[in-house]
Amino acid sequence: MTAMLPKGAAMPIALNVNGEDRITLSDPLTPLVDVLRDALFLTGAKAVCREGICGACTVMMDGKPVMSCLVPVGIAAGHDIRTAEALSGEGEPSPLQRAMLDHDVVQCGMCFPGMMVTLTDFLEHTPEPTREEIKAALVGNICRCTGYERLIDAVLAFAHRD
Amino acid sequence: MTASQAGDGQALYVATSLGDAVAALAARAPHAVPLAGATWIMRAPIRQERDHRAIPYVAIGAIDELRRIDVNDHEIVIGACATHAEVAARLGGLPDCRGLAAAAGNAANPAIRRIATIGGNLCAVKFAASDFAPALLAAGARVELLSAAGERELPMERFLANRSTLIPGSLLVRLVVPRGQMRSAHVRLPLRKAGDYPVAIVSMAAKLAPDGIAEEICIAVGSVEPVARRWPHLESEMTGRKLDADRAHALAAADAGSFSGRDAVEAPGWYRVQVLPALVRRAVEILQAQP
Repeated sequence: MTAMLPKGAAMPIALNVNGEDRITLSDPLTPLVDVLRDALFLTGAKAVCREGICGACTVMMDGKPVMSCLVPVGIAAGHDIRTAEALSGEGEPSPLQRAMLDHDVVQCGMCFPGMMVTLTDFLEHTPEPTREEIKAALVGNICRCTGYERLIDAVLAFAHRD
Repeated sequence: MTASQAGDGQALYVATSLGDAVAALAARAPHAVPLAGATWIMRAPIRQERDHRAIPYVAIGAIDELRRIDVNDHEIVIGACATHAEVAARLGGLPDCRGLAAAAGNAANPAIRRIATIGGNLCAVKFAASDFAPALLAAGARVELLSAAGERELPMERFLANRSTLIPGSLLVRLVVPRGQMRSAHVRLPLRKAGDYPVAIVSMAAKLAPDGIAEEICIAVGSVEPVARRWPHLESEMTGRKLDADRAHALAAADAGSFSGRDAVEAPGWYRVQVLPALVRRAVEILQAQP
C-alpha cells in the first residue's frame, strides 16, 4: 500500500477505539496502552507491570481481552479496540460495574478497569460461573488490595441475580 | 502490504501473505526479525535488551495461512501464528494430544494465551520456560522453515539446539505433530514468585501395551536448563517396563543430576533439578489415569 517513509517522518496509524476512528502518529512499536493513555487520553487501562502479568492494561481487541502493554500500536491498526471506558453507557455503570459498587468491591482502582474488561468478556461466555471458574478467569489480573474474595462474591451474586 | 515507520527510520512491515513475508525478510536481511504475537519482543525493555525499535520487524500475525490448524488421522499441522488459546481449543478434544493441549492451555495467563503464538514462543531463543518446547519434543514434532532458498523440515530437537543460527533469514511456518495411539501428559511447576512462568516442566508421551508395558516413551524437560531437552536415560530405563509411578520417581531421582539447573531470579538451579522426580511421578500418574 505504501512505500517506506523518509527517516524522521511519521506514518499515521488508523485505529478504531470504542467505535470511533482515531489516528495516531506514534511509533508503530509503541505499546497500545501508551497510545490509549497519552495520545487518546483514555486512562482506564493502566500501565503497571509492562510485561503482561498484572492485567491492569487489559482491553478488548476484536472482542477478546488482551494485555495492551504487549500489543504494538502498529499491529492494533485496523482492529476493533474497546477500553474500560466503553463498558459504561452515558456515564451510567454497566450492570456488572453496578454490582461491584453494590458489593463495595472497588478499592484503589489500579487493577479494576482491567478486571472489569476481563470479567465482562468472561460472563458473556460463562453466564453461570462457579467460584473456581471465576478464579481461573482472573489469573491474569492481579490485585494488591483485596485478596479477591469479595470480588468473586460480587461476580457470583451478579451471575445469579435472577 | 503496509509499512509503518519506526522511530529511527526502520519499519514495522505488516506482511499480508507468506510470500510477502519471506520477500520482506530477505529485503531487510540480515537484521530483519519476524514479529508474530509480539508478547516476547514487547518485553525487550524489561529485559534491558538493546533498543528493539532499531530492529526492522516483519509482522506475520495477519497471514491467514500461518494461523491454520489442520488435523487428520496421521498428523496435526499447526501454523506458526496459531495462538496458545487456539491450539488449546483445537487440540483439547483429541485424546492423543492431552499433553500438548495442556501446554497450550496453561502457559502464561488467558490474555497472553490469546495473542502469544506457538511460533513466537519457539523462536524466543532466550525464553527457557517455554511450555511448547518440551511438549513438542515429547510429541515428536517437526518444524517447517521457509526462506528465500526454499522450505526445509527439521526434528524439534535439532531446531531447538540450533535455532539461533537457523532463524535469521528463515521463517518458522508450521509445526507437524505425528498422531498415534499415544497417551501424553504435561506437568509444570509454577511458583508465586515466578509469576506466570513454570520453574520446571516435564512432558511425557507413551504408547502402552494392554498390560501397561511402555512400548515407547518420550520424556522432555523444560525450564530447568536454558533449552528444553529430552531425558534419554530415563526413557531407556522406562521403555519395555510397566509404568510405575514410584519406580519412575526413583529412576528420575537417581539421574536428575544429569541436568544442570539454571539459576534465575525466580528459582535457583538446584531447586529446578530437585523437583524433577516429583514432576515425573505426576506425569506417570496422569498417563496411567488416561483411558
